[in-house]
Amino acid sequence: MNRVLMATCLLLAAGAAQAQFRMPNLDVGRMLDSAKNLGKATKDIGQDEEIAIGRDLAATLLGAAPLVNDARMQTYVNNVGRWIAAQSERPDLPWQFGVLDAPQLNAFAVPGGTIFITRGLLERMRSEAELAGVLGHEIVHVVKKHHLKAIQKGAATALAGDALSMAVKNKNAGANDKLVSFGKEMYARGLDKGDEFEADRLGIVYAARAGYDAYGLPTVLQTLQAMNAQDSGLALMFKTHPAPGDRLEQLGEKMQPTLDANASQPQLAERFRSQVPASK
Amino acid sequence: MRFPRFFCLLLLLPLLAWAEPATTVRQVEVKKAPAADAETIGQLDENTAVDALERKGGWTRVKSAKGEGWVRMLALRFGGPGAAKKGDSGVSSLFNVARTGSSGTTLTTGVRGLDPEMLANAQPNPAELAKMQQFAVTPEAAAGFAAKGKLQAKPVEEVK
Repeated sequence: MNRVLMATCLLLAAGAAQAQFRMPNLDVGRMLDSAKNLGKATKDIGQDEEIAIGRDLAATLLGAAPLVNDARMQTYVNNVGRWIAAQSERPDLPWQFGVLDAPQLNAFAVPGGTIFITRGLLERMRSEAELAGVLGHEIVHVVKKHHLKAIQKGAATALAGDALSMAVKNKNAGANDKLVSFGKEMYARGLDKGDEFEADRLGIVYAARAGYDAYGLPTVLQTLQAMNAQDSGLALMFKTHPAPGDRLEQLGEKMQPTLDANASQPQLAERFRSQVPASK
Repeated sequence: MRFPRFFCLLLLLPLLAWAEPATTVRQVEVKKAPAADAETIGQLDENTAVDALERKGGWTRVKSAKGEGWVRMLALRFGGPGAAKKGDSGVSSLFNVARTGSSGTTLTTGVRGLDPEMLANAQPNPAELAKMQQFAVTPEAAAGFAAKGKLQAKPVEEVK
């Protein structure tokens, strides 16, 4: 369930337009100044740079919606998320999790290990296993660097046009414009469907590794599928993701054995309910 | 004043019982219990209307014209008869539109929070980020939390 891409581009676009968007340790001008080196430059984004990019993106997301003012709930979601992240291939990132005070149903992954889930989505869930499935999906986006790949793609497209010569001649002045243009391009495209399906599959695996009933994520997808597609709270998610029915179908094709092998693990519905109030 | 009370009761219904109209998306075996090795007591054709009553792991207890039993949850789609068929219901076509991202279909207005406009106009809030960092937990604390819930880590292979 990740609107990483959407978040990334919106934020890049918004930040650049305000001329306040900075990426510490990441010389965007250098990154963009040569089409030949572009692929290499973005591939070489190191972990420190990834975390720095994520910091700015996370701050901007929090500018759109603040945290739910409930320390107990925030700590609870951090405990669940950190435990699952420990089962991933990047257990040592500075993982942090936040519940955004927004009625829409969504979750976001930000480079470097920051994950957001909206109050609207959390309140629709019925167990900790469901939360684990969604957080697992978002953790995959970070582990597999789906957003960084999307930035790389967007940059390549932006440089394919007449923007290229300007970027080559003037290392920094055009950089923000480039960010805006490829940010918009990514916003229109969304993350690759393949990335979303991969995050569904591996997210289930992470939740299962963490000891949860593996059916948490499929259960959430079924909840979303049952909702009215016109529900405005779903607009952003549906715009940037394959339809829930398609995602369930993909899971059925590949994940049935994994799901069944891990179906009798705890769901922890009561612990979840004690920490998260039901939807009003 | 009878209508408001009626609607209040409607809102409470999901808490009392979960019976949601669903449709099978393929031919599916009906089991006596929620397990693959449970006795098969029937079969439902593709696009059969059922009521979903309860879910256990990967199984959903359903009631149909043929009676009650357990079917694979992944074989069900919600939204009433026909919802699972492509293009023959409003629900399905709306999903398709949302998926392709065609313009003019998913605009939201008057909703606060994380809609596209709010994101596009968002200004960084470093104070909130600093607050968020206070809630981060250590791997050790998370492991203790997991143990309290009787969660046990185990190896599970990635499926490509």
